[in-house]
Amino acid sequence: MAAEVLRMIPTKESVEPDDRQLVEQIRQGDDGAFETLVRRKTSKVYGLCYRVIGNGEDAKDISQLVFLKLWENLEKYDSAYAFDTWLYRMVTNVAIDFMRNKQSRDNAVNSNLRLVKTSVDPEQTVTVQRKEVESVFNVVSGVLSPKQKTIFVMSEMEDLRSSEIARILGCRESTVRNHLFNARKLMQQQLKKRFPEYARLWEESR
Amino acid sequence: MITCRQFRANLQPGTADAALLDHLRHCDACLDYAMGIDPDLFFRSIGGEELVPPGGLDAFVGDVMSQVRVRGAETSLAPRRAAGVWQRLAIAATVAAGVTGATLVYRIEQRPPAAHPTQTAAAAVKSAVARSAALATKSFVETYSSHNATIVEVPNEGSDAKIVMIFDDTLPADL
Repeated sequence: MAAEVLRMIPTKESVEPDDRQLVEQIRQGDDGAFETLVRRKTSKVYGLCYRVIGNGEDAKDISQLVFLKLWENLEKYDSAYAFDTWLYRMVTNVAIDFMRNKQSRDNAVNSNLRLVKTSVDPEQTVTVQRKEVESVFNVVSGVLSPKQKTIFVMSEMEDLRSSEIARILGCRESTVRNHLFNARKLMQQQLKKRFPEYARLWEESR
Repeated sequence: MITCRQFRANLQPGTADAALLDHLRHCDACLDYAMGIDPDLFFRSIGGEELVPPGGLDAFVGDVMSQVRVRGAETSLAPRRAAGVWQRLAIAATVAAGVTGATLVYRIEQRPPAAHPTQTAAAAVKSAVARSAALATKSFVETYSSHNATIVEVPNEGSDAKIVMIFDDTLPADL
């Protein structure tokens, strides 16, 4: 009996409005609902921005821009579709734009720099350290186009399926798979060049 | 989270199992083992974390909300600045009237000035003076004799002056 009574008392989770309900409340002028939505989605938005951009401060600025755009365009959201898909679309658009501008700026600055080869012995055994994987990713993903990198991050780090990524980016699933294939290939080539100790992992597994 | 033993027993190349990926992302001991099974898991190991912006979540949310309030204030002022339909029509009518008036004034100013009565009289006097001056420069003939001429004298009442008319084909036309 006591257990049944406990089940009837609404828990904190059950009274919390879902994303669509929050959007409805925001449309009616509830600023508090928007704050709840920002708090709820910050980790997702910032996480994707950080993985794609690779810099905490830039990712923070881009995330804020995304939330401002979200607030300005909330009237356009069609609640027939998943809110996260719509939100991710906004994030990827802003992040890809930022990356394209950054790439053209960096190309202008670094056009005279030469790649310095690492002096690590490729034969040495390596123990993979998680903290290193992130810095390796930041280096080798530099060869990817903004779209390739965004797709790679969504697939490998955000664990989104190809069909979801295709919906977010408004392209075909085959295009997503194609970008993923090319991204992996390019990054392996870069690993061989820049981090031969890690590239051995692929060679050994064949 | 599953144990290391479960992870190692179930890990297959190309896995997308959420529990396995979660373990991979939190257990350093199993990361190296996973690389030996499937090197493509290399970059998958850095996903899945809850990332917080620099400065913390509260500061981030505070920044976003303050920017939203600023934008909100801007947009709420906007309707007050915008004119209603009747106001817009009135403004358009005023502008149209102004433009039409200015055009009319400009056209009137460009037109050649109309003949004014005083100006006409002055012009007539001026031309008469010029004509008389032209006549004055001509030689004055006091006596005239010719075999071919016909001279007619017209007496003028109450005055010494006489009007004399000379008809002679040999005389210059402007005399």
